[in-house]
Amino acid sequence: MKILIVDDSSTMRRIIINTLSRIGYTDVVEGENGKNGLEKLGQGGVEMIITDWNMPEMDGLEFVKTVRGQNAAIPILMVTTNAAKEDIVEALQAGVNNYVVKPFTPETLKEKIESLLG
Amino acid sequence: MDQSEIDALLAGGGKSPKKPKGGKGSEPDPAPAPPAPQSAAHGEPHKDGSGHVISELDTVTAVTERESNKVMDQLDQISRLVSRQQQLITDMMRHEGAQAQGVQKAIHEVMSASKEIQDKVFEAMDLMQFQDITRQKLERIVHHLRQIHDYIVDLLGTGLKSDAERPSISHTIAQTGTTPDENKAHADAVIEAFKSQKKG
Repeated sequence: MKILIVDDSSTMRRIIINTLSRIGYTDVVEGENGKNGLEKLGQGGVEMIITDWNMPEMDGLEFVKTVRGQNAAIPILMVTTNAAKEDIVEALQAGVNNYVVKPFTPETLKEKIESLLG
Repeated sequence: MDQSEIDALLAGGGKSPKKPKGGKGSEPDPAPAPPAPQSAAHGEPHKDGSGHVISELDTVTAVTERESNKVMDQLDQISRLVSRQQQLITDMMRHEGAQAQGVQKAIHEVMSASKEIQDKVFEAMDLMQFQDITRQKLERIVHHLRQIHDYIVDLLGTGLKSDAERPSISHTIAQTGTTPDENKAHADAVIEAFKSQKKG
């Protein structure tokens, strides 16, 4: 399963990649922001998206809305520092399937991914 | 202090950040320059010094990200070495001379310690999330500085407004600590409520 990780922090991308590899997902592709994420998504083969919210050029919310305009089925998990109820609701309305607030534990990421894929 | 930090200080004409004086406890300056901030325009100093502060914060962000990645590199290397060690131990266990009960017990203990090291390395990697959280907190400070700067420009009717595009900021980050999953229950409850509302 190929997973697209969109986050402007290279440290955070590494942490997510590392967590994914520990739970058996090693096929990943990275994007630095929403715009770059769309390019990577356009290259095909992506079956799941993990995206941050606050990014330059195109933020996660705009990215999710654009993706949902093209693909209604792909599971999207948002991993962000935005913890307010309004933010979570806004992300869900935009088309996010599940939501993780940073900092997270590997167990949480695993649980959320499995619930999306299950 | 590396060259880009020196350049930022020279450009802004600001004060040098305090650093321990030389001697036994002092650490050498890191050699490689940090990556450029996400947009070069972010760091352009304004004559009033607000650009200088923003530039310094961008430099801090770039430096912490670079250094965090160095720590991640080291942790990756430790992880690889521990995996290699575990492989060697596994091979050793199959060796004819290692079949004695006492030897097998000792090998199992070494293996268990090795597994513990691996878990601690993974835990340390996960804790590096603090870098991104700190970065976003700094981004929020930059956002407010720019708002104050633009307000003053409007008020005085002189000067340049901030024009560089920055990442969107988190408005609730102050409530977010660095303890993992502090907000998990809250987020899960909102998701559940949203889903049941949608169903209903």
